[in-house]
Amino acid sequence: MTGEPQGCGAPAGGVAVTENSSGEAIIEGRVTMDGSPVPVGYARLLNDGGEFVAEVPLGEDGGFRFFAAPGSWTVRVLAPRGARADQTVSADKGHTTKLEISVSTAG
Amino acid sequence: MSRSDVLVDADWVEGHLGDPGMVLVEVDEDTSAYDKGHIASAVKIDWKKDLQDPVRRDFIDKHGFEELMSARGISNDDLVILYGGNNNWFAAYAYWYFRLYGHDKVKLLDGGRKKWELDSRDLVTEVPERPRTSYHAADPDTSIRAFRDEVVAAIGQRNLVDVRSPDEFSGKLLAPAHLPQEQAQRAGHIPTAKNVPWSKAANDDGTFKADEDLRKLYADEAGLDFSKDTIAYCRIGERSAHTWFVLHELLGQEHVKNYDGSWTEYGSLVGVPIELGEGR
Repeated sequence: MTGEPQGCGAPAGGVAVTENSSGEAIIEGRVTMDGSPVPVGYARLLNDGGEFVAEVPLGEDGGFRFFAAPGSWTVRVLAPRGARADQTVSADKGHTTKLEISVSTAG
Repeated sequence: MSRSDVLVDADWVEGHLGDPGMVLVEVDEDTSAYDKGHIASAVKIDWKKDLQDPVRRDFIDKHGFEELMSARGISNDDLVILYGGNNNWFAAYAYWYFRLYGHDKVKLLDGGRKKWELDSRDLVTEVPERPRTSYHAADPDTSIRAFRDEVVAAIGQRNLVDVRSPDEFSGKLLAPAHLPQEQAQRAGHIPTAKNVPWSKAANDDGTFKADEDLRKLYADEAGLDFSKDTIAYCRIGERSAHTWFVLHELLGQEHVKNYDGSWTEYGSLVGVPIELGEGR
């Protein structure tokens, strides 16, 4: 995104529209097990101090999305039968960071 | 009050499915999860459509609650077991709400929907039919509900517990990170509030931590003065209902209120003090 209007004025050429024109720092992704989507499970977002920030149930396609702030974050996945995965990611304003996370069961 | 007076676990629910006089209720903001699958015999309550006034910012009045209970087939003497997604936030809110309107036979399913799903327990899609009842609610018990003027007056006087995430507390985020970041006019927290995120009271699977750990968390780590009255708040009052449940129901603190106006109200008030950063 190439800068956003500060007030109500109209920027030359109009407000740029990109894949994420809202200015949000989005982290999204998909969780799979053995190549198939994991439809039952949870993705939690932890901040750079490891503190819990948010959690969403996975979608039917194993998908999740967070509206974060710029910085470093960890996405933790919890799924049935003890399946777990942590992935560290950095988010930027106006940018969508995409993740593919694969999990396996605890055994 | 002991834990078994206010909580049941998943095994207990499986063993008591179909008991007369016991009603399972799934409570959520997004009830599409219920529609896809719920615990057998559970009825649903939609946090927004059923529990909030459609016009004013307030929850439904006594008559509205009576109508809702009657329509769901819930009687005054039924034992109501509440559970839901989002780590039981909305179920805890409903629990607080049931107590507010005088329904004392109410308990939470520890871990809620998440623990049930992570255990791979059965979910069904059949919607139960319960005959209509004539429910009578009590007048709202405002000893457990805080309003804005009381919150402003409590700054520096009572315990204020901000249960949002550290990043919402410091002002980095305005809403939980699963939502777009636009809500209150200003970010930050109420001066003198201690930040004890609701999540610190729960295990990863959504169950509550042990009483001993909870007491340590609020008294020793956060420095809450248990001899003082307490007000808990978050963004709209559901996560703080979870903490109200911990302080009032699990730890037995007598004077604890949930401020359901929370940050979406406080952060939009003109002229009230706001603190940024990590707090003191």
